[in-house]
Amino acid sequence: MTEKPRIVVTVNPDGTVSAETLDILGDDCLDYIAVLEDLIGGKVRDSAFTADHTRQRTFGTQQQVNRDVDPA
Amino acid sequence: MSISLLLVPLAVAGAAAVKAASDRGADGVCHVHTRMRDVTLLADALRDTGAEVATAEERLTARWEAVEAVFTRDAEGIWGAHFTGADQARAVELVTAVDVAYGRRVQRTVLDRLRDQAPAAGLRLESETVDENAGVRLVFEVERQ
Repeated sequence: MTEKPRIVVTVNPDGTVSAETLDILGDDCLDYIAVLEDLIGGKVRDSAFTADHTRQRTFGTQQQVNRDVDPA
Repeated sequence: MSISLLLVPLAVAGAAAVKAASDRGADGVCHVHTRMRDVTLLADALRDTGAEVATAEERLTARWEAVEAVFTRDAEGIWGAHFTGADQARAVELVTAVDVAYGRRVQRTVLDRLRDQAPAAGLRLESETVDENAGVRLVFEVERQ
């Protein structure tokens, strides 16, 4: 069962902000970079994909292969 | 879980945190660089440190008893201060205190923005907690993608 997608934002007392997306599949998480920049009124200084991003993308590729095969 | 981000509000300049680099001129005036951009937050932060603050056009003057600092912007819009009545160490100490207060003001401003504007972005605030470092952790549920 898939968890509801979430975004965890930590606003630090020095004014910097860290954020992490949870259960947002593959590259869909990239859509939230602009959303977060707009919400906090700032810019991303650093970013990193987590291990789950790679795993989900691999899963997505496998699905694509299956779809290519099924219609035949 | 797929991406982690570090964001810096536009009110905060540059990559590093406190940059109270300073130099002392022959006239005894000490100049201290800061990372601060927002004049309103700067004035509030100065008051938080006990300063009396006066603003005039592109200049902001702060006074702590016998110490006076005149803040002006550089070409990039970042505020720097010229101190009189304080040696270099005291000037850096004061700017560091202002920087801490400024960071808290930025934190408060960012939190207000997030609480106010997240619903319109399809994010519902699910929980809010304060960590041991005074960071505020907000968990948003994505209501629409």
